[in-house]
Amino acid sequence: MSMRPDMMSNKERIDALLKGRPIDRVPHFPFIPGFCARNVGYPIAVMYSDAGKSFDAQQKTMEQYGFDWGPLYGYASYGTWEFGGTIKMPEGDYEQAPAHVTFPVQSEADVAGLQLPDVKKAGCLPTAMAFSHLQEKSDTPISVICGGNFTIAGNICSVETLCRWMLKKPDLVHALLRLATDHIVDLVRYWVETFGADRVIPQMWEPSAANYILSPKQFERFVLPYLQESSEKILAMGVKHILYHICGEQNANLPYWAQVPMGDPGLASLGEEVDADTAIKYFGDTCVIIGNIDGKVILEGTPESLYRLCTETIAKLKHAPRGYMMCSGCELPPASPPYNVYVMRKAINDAGWYE
Amino acid sequence: MASEEKTREILKAIQDAVVGYDEETCERLCSSVLEEGIDPHRAVVEGLTGGMERVGELYNSQEYFVPELLLCADALNAGLNVLKPHLKIEDAARKGKLLIGVVEGDIHDIGKNLVRIMFEAAGWDVYDLGNNVKIERFVEEQKKANTDIVALSALMTTSMLAMPKIIGALKAQNPGVKVLVGGAPLSQEIAQRYGADAYAPDAVAAVKRAADLIG
Repeated sequence: MSMRPDMMSNKERIDALLKGRPIDRVPHFPFIPGFCARNVGYPIAVMYSDAGKSFDAQQKTMEQYGFDWGPLYGYASYGTWEFGGTIKMPEGDYEQAPAHVTFPVQSEADVAGLQLPDVKKAGCLPTAMAFSHLQEKSDTPISVICGGNFTIAGNICSVETLCRWMLKKPDLVHALLRLATDHIVDLVRYWVETFGADRVIPQMWEPSAANYILSPKQFERFVLPYLQESSEKILAMGVKHILYHICGEQNANLPYWAQVPMGDPGLASLGEEVDADTAIKYFGDTCVIIGNIDGKVILEGTPESLYRLCTETIAKLKHAPRGYMMCSGCELPPASPPYNVYVMRKAINDAGWYE
Repeated sequence: MASEEKTREILKAIQDAVVGYDEETCERLCSSVLEEGIDPHRAVVEGLTGGMERVGELYNSQEYFVPELLLCADALNAGLNVLKPHLKIEDAARKGKLLIGVVEGDIHDIGKNLVRIMFEAAGWDVYDLGNNVKIERFVEEQKKANTDIVALSALMTTSMLAMPKIIGALKAQNPGVKVLVGGAPLSQEIAQRYGADAYAPDAVAAVKRAADLIG
């Protein structure tokens, strides 16, 4: 089929959306590194180990499938390597992203000796910085992606250990969250000093704070204060927007998430577990809503079922007060049928125009 | 020898110690079971397992989450370590044998660990293969342990794709083996399509489904 011609460039569309001005159609937000690797014939590991190839694969795939925004670099196990542990790059048919091998904190005693990482040298950060220089050159949004505060803390000592300490040794959890929070602020400051506050849009992914793991009360006590602190410090640097990927089942946490400053507008990326009305209730007045097409349907659904899901989601969210960008609810499964990825863009073409 | 009343009192206190994730008290109470001449098997079933059943209910009603569940399991294991050496051979007759693991490509094992905990608490023999388990290893270990059930866990949509291959390989080797699947991206519909015998949405349901599968 032929797509209706856009009336704005990708950059014009994103700029207008973030400034609260009218846009021609719903943008298509990418969360697709593994799919891009397969699309251009690279191993998925390259997306995390080689900034140039990662950027190139994403840019080519986004052009092919009509994504807006721009290439992104980051992964959910962020923090393990940067704080002194080890990770392994994905390999084989079923691995999707880097995974921890050894945690920097193995015992209670290790917490006291933990140091803040050097943001210029630690772990993946030199690669992330090289990637952001490519974002700068191509005039796409400059992201710095890391875990949310709690997810980084879990990546330092393992989520199970963090869970046990929450009840038995809360001081250790607060010590790790302090380090994670200070690191996030250091990291974003480095990006802001390099590229300018108006160009940097940090992304924080917080899967480990989901209600699969934590109660809302635990979220309120251990997660919310640190999210608020790092957000406030980042916004005080002059950053205008922060993207939070509120990953997985977090419905019971949403009243707290709504208290986290994310900028004007903020960017709230939600999984399929949060329905459209709930998303608008908690984030509609303050954030552009991003999401929440179910990865299972993208991977295993028929094109018809996926098209129906996308058009229904667009209909519910396109008039969200601060805007909407369609995206998979979490990373688009790398093995998704290419036709299904095209179907998502087709759904925007058919149902996503603002007349 | 403790009176029936005293026995019930201790067993109830063991349950409470498990529910209250009080490892030290649970260990002490299980020692007192031995001192008072109470049947250790009864203490396991009515005290420790009974406590974990209450924990399961609290988890289902969303009063307990993963942190509480992990600590309750620690308390249970502390008590079990005291009682285990004193169980008679006939007490060791278990409900069934389970092989469990997170599939290849996936290192997320909290869900799998919770399932293992609930099966152990319910009196199953559990063979835990850990995470990122290759297809061949599931097949080899199932044959070696001759388990009634294999439980497969995945958190990622990408790693979930290994499940139909594992199920196919397990059934080719042993058509009688039952396969139970679970994890965030799974559903009843996907489980059926992959050829699994059952799907469980959480750790408590997994034990019930497994019991149904082996009748």
